[in-house]
Amino acid sequence: MCPRCHSTDLGFEAATGRGIVYSYAFLHHPRHPAFDYPVLAALVELDEGVRLMTNLVDVDPLDVRVGLPVEVTFADTAGGGVVPVFRPVSGEPGRGSS
Amino acid sequence: MSTGASIVGIGRTEWSKDAGRSETQLAAEAILDALGDAGLEAADVDGLVSYTIDPVEETELVRALGTPLVNWSSRVPYGGGGSQGVLLHAMAAVVSGAADVVVAYRAIRARSKSRFGSAQVTGRPTSSHAGTTASQWCTPFGVVTPAAWMSLNAVRYMHASGATSEDFGRAVVQLRAYAATNPWAHFFGRPITLEDHQASRWIAEPAIRLFDCCQETDGAAAIVITRDDRAAHTRAPVAIAAAASCAVFEEEIASNHYTADLAVMDGSVALAERLFSSGISRSDVDVAMIYDAFTPILLMQLEALGFCERGEARHFIADGNLGPSGSLPCNTNGGLIGEGYIHGMNLTLEAVRQLRGQAPNQVAAARTALVSASRTGVLLTGPGTVSP
Repeated sequence: MCPRCHSTDLGFEAATGRGIVYSYAFLHHPRHPAFDYPVLAALVELDEGVRLMTNLVDVDPLDVRVGLPVEVTFADTAGGGVVPVFRPVSGEPGRGSS
Repeated sequence: MSTGASIVGIGRTEWSKDAGRSETQLAAEAILDALGDAGLEAADVDGLVSYTIDPVEETELVRALGTPLVNWSSRVPYGGGGSQGVLLHAMAAVVSGAADVVVAYRAIRARSKSRFGSAQVTGRPTSSHAGTTASQWCTPFGVVTPAAWMSLNAVRYMHASGATSEDFGRAVVQLRAYAATNPWAHFFGRPITLEDHQASRWIAEPAIRLFDCCQETDGAAAIVITRDDRAAHTRAPVAIAAAASCAVFEEEIASNHYTADLAVMDGSVALAERLFSSGISRSDVDVAMIYDAFTPILLMQLEALGFCERGEARHFIADGNLGPSGSLPCNTNGGLIGEGYIHGMNLTLEAVRQLRGQAPNQVAAARTALVSASRTGVLLTGPGTVSP
């Protein structure tokens, strides 16, 4: 239910897939065999205002910072599904920009 | 000043890494210890309260204790964040007359049964009974431990405040110094230096190192609560001067990632507003127990509770304020990081010991104690020094 208007008419909306890194962490321990370590976890805030947990991919660890502009890509899961993950927006300044 | 209810007994089992017996037995042992401390018997108990996440069934517990009649029972959600909520529930029960003598308990085998901090990808129901409500959004991305959930908030806090791992380390050095002289503590006799902290391995970089993590502990704690008029006939009553439990919109349990500003613990802001509207002010607090599952939330609570300004906790700690001669001696048992993790209830036990003058790291003339489990908390006032 929408907490603001109490509507139950919920559905999906297309998003641009762009946002910024709100927070992040390199997870080292404890480990689970399903994942490669360190796991690069991030909270990404989409341009539409939604914040979601995800992973960052295709990024130099030294470039990871709060505020990094990112865009969505999709990763396969072991169960045959896909999940949204994020990479730096192409053309963004690289290492040392923070 | 009192809400009308007092703590009249505290009890515990030993803290260990392998208790070798069930949570039900641990709870029963801790409750008998607390009743003995209060000068009461199992037959006097007619109320029970614990955490929703606690595995001990009320029905089995009373069959162990021989309690003839339970008139009232309750459970508090929010995992360890709800650990002080049991005192609000107990206070409401005895002041309303729903029960006369309430026992609050928490029994846990966080090390020997299923490691509390381990990586788990299945079997966490989406309810407060599992200690978190939003883990299904974290699991696909490998964010599958309490440290991992908390680290995202902590890194945002570091970004907002400028706090570093060394700042967290200075808090841990103090906690471990307290633990080193507390015989109950896992780290009894084992203080560390800042260099030791900085050399401990990363758990969640750049926020949480190994020495920033609380202990996975086996054991049980219990607290006996009754009305002030009855408490007046017991040996060492500690008044519940204020009790509060605050659930803020969009705040999740443990995996709490959706409030507007993750650098601020909104539940603690609300908690402080409730507690300090009691007539007791922050400057009255002689000793504080602040839920330290991981070091960053200790700093975040210091700010949210109003003991220092936003971003100032690192300076507050560097100035020695959490130490025995500081303005706010804090987690004088070593905290959950230094003493052990009975899911927050051992912090309440330490507050009571301080107010009775029985703590191993005794704060001189401690009359008022704060216990904060971030969103639930109490202000307690003591009877003065009591002979052991």
